[in-house]
Amino acid sequence: MLEPLEGSQAIAHAVALARPGVVAAYPITPQTHIVEHIAKLVADNRLRCEYVSVESEFSAATVALGAAAAGCRAYTATASQGLLLMAEVLFNIAGLRIPLVMTCANRAVSAPINIWNDHQDAMALRDAGWIQLYCASNQEAIDTTIQAFLLAERLELPVMVCVDGYILTHTLEGVSLPTQEEVDHFLPPYTFAHTLDSRQPLTLGTMVAPDHFTEIRYAHDQAMYQALAAIEEVDAAYAGITGRASGGVLEVDGPDDARIGVLCLGAVHGTLWEGREQARNLPPAKLIKLRALRPFPEAALRQALAGLSDVVVLERAFSPGAGGIVAAEVCRALYGTSTTPRIHSAVMGLGGRDIPLEAWQQVLALAQGPSRGATVILDLIPDHLEDGIA
Amino acid sequence: MAERMTRGGFAQPGSAMAFKTGSWRDLVAPRHLHGLAPCAGACPAGEDAQAYLAPLTNGDVKSAWEILVTANPLPATTGRICHHPCETACNRGQFDEALAIHAVERYLGDAALHNQWAYPGIPQTTTEPAVAVVGGGPAGLACAYHLRRLGHAVTIFDALVEPGGTVATSIPPYRMPKEILQAEARRILETGITWQGHTRVGSDVDLDELRREFAAVFLAPGSQRTKPWDVAGVVPAQLHDGLALLHTWMEVGSMPPWHKIAVVGGGNTSVDVARALKRCGVEEVHLVTHNGLPWDAEDPMRAIAREVRQAMEEGVVIHANCGAERLLLRGNRIIGVVLVAMKKMRGADGKWHRHGFPGTEQVLMVDEVIPAIGQTVDPSGFESLLQGLDYFDVDHHGRMTHHQGLYAGGDARSGSSGMASPAIGDGRRAAAAIHAALCNNPLLPEKQRPLVPITEMHLQYFETAPRAEPSILPVAQRQGEAEIEQSLTARQALDEAVRCLSCGNCMICDNCWTFCPDQAVLKLNHTIQGDGSPYVFDMAFCKGCGICANECPTAFIRMAPEQDEQG
Amino acid sequence: MNNTAALRDMSSIRQQQSRFEGLTPGHRACQGCGQALAARLVLESSGPDVVVANATGCLEVFTTAWPQSAWTIPWMHSVFSNTAALAAGMEAAFKARDISTKVLAFAGDGGTFDIGFQALSGMIERGHNVLFVCYDNEAYMNTGVQRSSSTPVAAATTTSPAGIARTGKRHLKKDIVAIIAAHCMPYAATASVAYPNDLKDKVRRGIQTPGPAFLMIHSPCPLGWMHDSAKGIEVARLGVETGLVPLIEMEYGQQTSAMPLRRVRPVVDYLKPQGRFRHLFADDPMARQELAHLQALADHNIAHYGLQESQPESGDSHAAASVRRGTVAVVPPGAV
Repeated sequence: MLEPLEGSQAIAHAVALARPGVVAAYPITPQTHIVEHIAKLVADNRLRCEYVSVESEFSAATVALGAAAAGCRAYTATASQGLLLMAEVLFNIAGLRIPLVMTCANRAVSAPINIWNDHQDAMALRDAGWIQLYCASNQEAIDTTIQAFLLAERLELPVMVCVDGYILTHTLEGVSLPTQEEVDHFLPPYTFAHTLDSRQPLTLGTMVAPDHFTEIRYAHDQAMYQALAAIEEVDAAYAGITGRASGGVLEVDGPDDARIGVLCLGAVHGTLWEGREQARNLPPAKLIKLRALRPFPEAALRQALAGLSDVVVLERAFSPGAGGIVAAEVCRALYGTSTTPRIHSAVMGLGGRDIPLEAWQQVLALAQGPSRGATVILDLIPDHLEDGIA
Repeated sequence: MAERMTRGGFAQPGSAMAFKTGSWRDLVAPRHLHGLAPCAGACPAGEDAQAYLAPLTNGDVKSAWEILVTANPLPATTGRICHHPCETACNRGQFDEALAIHAVERYLGDAALHNQWAYPGIPQTTTEPAVAVVGGGPAGLACAYHLRRLGHAVTIFDALVEPGGTVATSIPPYRMPKEILQAEARRILETGITWQGHTRVGSDVDLDELRREFAAVFLAPGSQRTKPWDVAGVVPAQLHDGLALLHTWMEVGSMPPWHKIAVVGGGNTSVDVARALKRCGVEEVHLVTHNGLPWDAEDPMRAIAREVRQAMEEGVVIHANCGAERLLLRGNRIIGVVLVAMKKMRGADGKWHRHGFPGTEQVLMVDEVIPAIGQTVDPSGFESLLQGLDYFDVDHHGRMTHHQGLYAGGDARSGSSGMASPAIGDGRRAAAAIHAALCNNPLLPEKQRPLVPITEMHLQYFETAPRAEPSILPVAQRQGEAEIEQSLTARQALDEAVRCLSCGNCMICDNCWTFCPDQAVLKLNHTIQGDGSPYVFDMAFCKGCGICANECPTAFIRMAPEQDEQG
Repeated sequence: MNNTAALRDMSSIRQQQSRFEGLTPGHRACQGCGQALAARLVLESSGPDVVVANATGCLEVFTTAWPQSAWTIPWMHSVFSNTAALAAGMEAAFKARDISTKVLAFAGDGGTFDIGFQALSGMIERGHNVLFVCYDNEAYMNTGVQRSSSTPVAAATTTSPAGIARTGKRHLKKDIVAIIAAHCMPYAATASVAYPNDLKDKVRRGIQTPGPAFLMIHSPCPLGWMHDSAKGIEVARLGVETGLVPLIEMEYGQQTSAMPLRRVRPVVDYLKPQGRFRHLFADDPMARQELAHLQALADHNIAHYGLQESQPESGDSHAAASVRRGTVAVVPPGAV
């Protein structure tokens, strides 16, 4: 039975079902509702955990880190500026191989200050060593959040669950929450091999000199690659209990004879799906939902894009002076394969600009047009540009 | 072996112990160095006060006494009459007040007599050659005692019936009760020494005979002959010698009926004579001495400060830095003496002379002038040895130059101060020399340890504490043989032991153990033999920072150039 | 005794020490490091049932050169500024798991007064049961002696050097204890490595405090303060005896104790052995003014914290460090 829940509420319930021991909370729009809902669950005694209202995102990440190291399942949520403020700690958590889960309610990064959705925040942290999973719906946000705990604890890697700010966090959707029994069955109690324990003392966070630093980085990289299979397995296992999968590392949908592919991350997937439904006159195209940005599923991607002539990578962020970030990674994944499709890098929806259903037509036009050679911002309004900028 | 990276870079607890930071030390390393405390350096009897005060801090009186008597078998005696240079030297004197070592020594001596403790470490049988000791005073008794400890058979020959020598005959009972001296002397004799009293060498027994019968002879006959005395060539017709007066007073308890007397001299005998005169009712007693007062920095008199103070309390008038320039006579009768201010100065010949200053004369109207200026050896029986000298010429170990098998010490030896405790030291050293010679062992020099001056101590770690003072009879009650000074109470003695700064020696304060930033100082639950402390340096980790030495209150730890580890 | 036997012997002696060794030797601190000593004393008084969150800094670097660790208690370092939050997270986890292990946070003055201050304030405000220990060596020593807000006025550092136009740091040392105390803080205190017993007592009090506690330990740095490595304790003690380093306790914002000074020393006694104050002894009016300034600050401390005692007492600046030979023995029975 579906119940209508706001994305933030849904995530809060998912977190509660995972029975965290410590939740660190700091208000940063637009994730604030999540920790507010968790606070209410704690206040109502529906969730028994240490709820720590910290004084900054930096401390939010750190409290979660300390708690996870001290033997508790730990959680926090952030977005945008908060995520960037956490950056130092996030690299640290990953390097320490601490299993914890954090929601990032994706949002633009200042300046100019803008509280609305895009993916610039999480993209900036893609090299932090965290697993990054993008959710296309509130249902996926619930399911991915619960799966993230299992993944983190199995791999000793932190997991960032990326959900679009406002578009998911503040939107009501009919969702199905798993039962507590189902989650308990799916997710064993928290364990961490290097838990701080005065009966078995260990030293965590040592200084590693050049003679071993490369190896620790390599080991981390290998763990991330192993996570690709784990993401699939965990998604399948979750599906075995709840009947719902979230798409593994990526999900492909569309007619087998399609020659065009459109790849996207997050909630825009729903928009493009609907656009495709409504524009039946256009050429057939596959929709590729990239769920795992880190680790980057190169092999799965090569398989998904095989046989396509044109692929549009539609992103809600870019790297100034270099263009689409995911597009570049897709190019790298396909580099050297015999039948590489043309890759078209497109950007839309920055700083919360609405992506309409008509975006589908623009995307397909891009795929069918001549190669542009550079990233194209499909919803740019030239009239809004400062004088002198072409 | 290659290290394999751990997940997240964790490390095992305490694994840094594999990293030996001792290799960082640069040239210097801390060392324990048991320095010589000034008290021990100054003790003529060879006592190490610090060593016997240590068990006393734990309330162990018997152990303290047993350590004390390894050097001095007469502590109840010296604890009364010693001039205690240990206290003069005591570093604590420059901090607050010197430790009352003298009084603690007496406390231990009295405790031993009270409890009838026997000397430790005396062999049951005699295994070494027999030695003759001439003179049963402090030097002879000490020598005999140490020879017994070393396994020798010993016979003491003395002109008197009772042992004790000059201490018995010439120190008034108010400061040296006879029964105390006799008890200590008896305890020495009871270690198996043959006492041959009433036997004067020269008349009753011949020195050559002794040399034939005994493997070695230790001569400590004391100084029995009064030094000649005059004032500007004039000698009173009826000369009363101070020491003879004192002997008479001690035997019969009275003095001639004088009113005003001047005693001349700066030693303890002169003070004792003056005090005895005062006790016998002489109204005015003047003590005239060339020297300054005992507590003066320059040219102090030899008499013990404590005794001079008590004499002054009792009404003796001291004329320090004064000399008798002329006797005022009416016929043969003395009616006074002219005094003149004097000072010891270095003359043109580079030697010290005393100069009198004209114009400073003052007249003391007195009935008699009594010299008490010291004695020399009575040569009878020793003429061949003395060869005109008035002392026995010996080296540091009491060995008589050119006379094998003969040793000497006490007041009769060259350079003697006429004090009891140096005599005890003479006896101890001579015993060691005799033993070494008779056993054909090399005479090992006494271990030289560097003196620890106050400047090397870290006094910030000490609290001031008042010095223990024995109770003293009020002047009004100083009559007859009543002893003036009392023994310390046990509480006083124990507290006084705690006052010891432990100069140059470990006092187990834990500072090194506490302050080492590298935990390179470890502590055992016992003190280490030959080291005296319970601490060891783990040189594998000592970086040589020097904190332990800088914070060692007693300078027991010193930074010294590194040497190769020995054996 | 050959070398191997000596080593074996040492390790068995070490195992029998009558104190808890939370920090082992083999750490890479400089000769005479005050912080290494302070950390050991803190753990001696608090271990072994503790967990430590440690800020970036000397203490972290010199104890944990992978694969080795000089810690025998569970210990974790994250980054520079988040120590208090890290400790808070640990404490929250232990609370959630119903584990009684005490959480300690270790940071230098930079990690306390400056970059770590916000997290510390938050930790205290939320009432985490953590003892936060600041090893105050009055500058960023690990990075090469840069000034911090704990550096005393007029001290020369690499970012507040002395020169013709400057006499070292131009700003006052931040009164961090007062700031901490203003959080309705159950326990905030200062200690010095020169007074280890007082230090350990304060650690115990901090440990026994339910809720947050703060202890700042004045820890000489021979490298940064430029004094002889043997003189660390002496310099620390002089800091206290001059009044520049008041040893106080504050509970709920109120001063509840101060170590009285038996003998107040002039500040020059403290400044002279330290190279960071050398420029103050130049024949220069600016230098003289700063010397007078430091003396005035010491005088102010003495008045403000009531350090001047009327008569010697057992806990004063002299008695607290004094040693004695043996114990006060009981008079044995039968003694005369």
